[in-house]
Amino acid sequence: MNFPLEQPLFQFFHWLINTPGVGAAVVGLLVGVAVTSFVLTLRWIASAKSGEQESYPYPPRH
Amino acid sequence: MQQTINLHDRDELIAPLYQFDRKFWTTLVVLIVIIAPGMLLYARQLVLGLGVTDLNRPVFWGAYLVNFIFLIGIAMAGTVISAVLQLLKVNWRRPITRIAESLTVFGLMTAGLQIIMDMGRPDRLVFTLLYGRLQAPLLWDIASLTLYLLTAIFALYLQLIPDIALLRDTSPASAPLWRKKLYSILSLGWTGAKEQWRRLEKAITVVSVFIIPIGISLHTVTSWLFSTTVQPGWKSTILGPYFVVGAIFSGIGLLFIATTFARQYNKHLKEYITESFYTNLGWIFIVMSAVWFYFTLNETLVVVTEQETLEFPVMASKLFGEFAPAFWGMIILMIAATWILVAPKFVSDKPTRNPLFQTATGLVATAISIVIFFLLWLRLPALAAPAIQSILIFAFIVLFIFALLGVTKWMKTRIITSTVIASAFVLFGMWLERWNILLPTLTHARLIPYTTYNPTITEIAVTISTFGILTLMFVVFYKFFPSISIWEVEEGRALEADSTH
Repeated sequence: MNFPLEQPLFQFFHWLINTPGVGAAVVGLLVGVAVTSFVLTLRWIASAKSGEQESYPYPPRH
Repeated sequence: MQQTINLHDRDELIAPLYQFDRKFWTTLVVLIVIIAPGMLLYARQLVLGLGVTDLNRPVFWGAYLVNFIFLIGIAMAGTVISAVLQLLKVNWRRPITRIAESLTVFGLMTAGLQIIMDMGRPDRLVFTLLYGRLQAPLLWDIASLTLYLLTAIFALYLQLIPDIALLRDTSPASAPLWRKKLYSILSLGWTGAKEQWRRLEKAITVVSVFIIPIGISLHTVTSWLFSTTVQPGWKSTILGPYFVVGAIFSGIGLLFIATTFARQYNKHLKEYITESFYTNLGWIFIVMSAVWFYFTLNETLVVVTEQETLEFPVMASKLFGEFAPAFWGMIILMIAATWILVAPKFVSDKPTRNPLFQTATGLVATAISIVIFFLLWLRLPALAAPAIQSILIFAFIVLFIFALLGVTKWMKTRIITSTVIASAFVLFGMWLERWNILLPTLTHARLIPYTTYNPTITEIAVTISTFGILTLMFVVFYKFFPSISIWEVEEGRALEADSTH
């Protein structure tokens, strides 16, 4: 059996976990995805258009 | 159309937000007095370096890291408890969700400060990102903590939107303009329309689902961080769940203390946060206490029975060595806390003449047992003979049992006070538990000579400061936002009314 690091896939994994700065990029990516999804969610809530003029102090039950 | 609010709720929950009375300023001054010495000593640490602490190789993590683990623990519990109760649609959660979620946010913020303090030079934080590699456990911790903090802030904010809109619509004419503007911006144009509520509820549910694994990841990643150092005492496979259980346990404890503090601060809250909350969450507290004892026994028993060369000295330092007072202190506090929670449920309300169940007996026994505990801790040469030690330990155990029995009747009639006392014991016990996980290993590290660690005045003052900062954040935040989720409480009332009709 060959040593796994002879395979390009494992070489890539080795590069991925050993290269300085890549960790920060992953943290940045996580934070970026999280913040973007939070902002989009808030926009989605704020942009809710309703035909009715009714205002509810708590979620209306159907 | 403007939001409507029950006038009673407006008087009780919104009006106090605009009253900067003497009580508020006194609390603020007291907290600043508590925080200031630690901050001054931290400034001194910045100038002189980490030499002003007792941190050195191999004890590179000390009181600051103990605080960090403790704080992320209490932080983990807040939002996770709130999210679980939210998903299970538990009705009694409504008045406490906001306090629980804010504790998470403030706990994580103060936990982050500990890492910066432990680094010595704050500018080094940038290096962890610039040169951080994915294989570095510290980076996993940063990723987990950042993600959890962001999600917790988002969860807190989502739940606040309808209440901020209420503040926007009901602010008194005398309210400062900047405050009105702040509420107007933060309310995101909320009108309380049906579609807005539908979307908000959906978002809250999704966030509640996501935040539970993120919260659990934060605490288990910290335990992995320890395990990857391959040090004795940190390699147990149970360490992850043990951290999580301890986190939920201490988090519930802080939640009890925070809600009681809020109740005392604003007397009107007593109407919203009732005894039933203490009883219901108290049951979860008891379950967590049982699981915590089981894991602690597991951690101790396995190491003691295997007597492995590297692991056993760490355990021995806890059981009989320099960490024995902290270890046994933790066990005693946890036993006392569990007793305080469980015992009142099994005694009757009827008065008794049995001297064992008199409060005076309990108080006298407590006082004497505390004296004996400190005599054992000090290891005075005059009391060093094995026979005397045995007598002292036996006397302590008997008096401790008398103390627990004596206070049972008293606790039965004071459920809130007794829960707060139990919570304080749990919090202190859990801080000691974090100490007992960290320091015995670092002072008995693998392949290098054993050493000692005694926190200096800087570390002690900064620790006190940290808890002061946590309380300050809590007090200031709730001067701007209601500590009770008003819309959730009103929804709860409506559901209750529907079910009775």
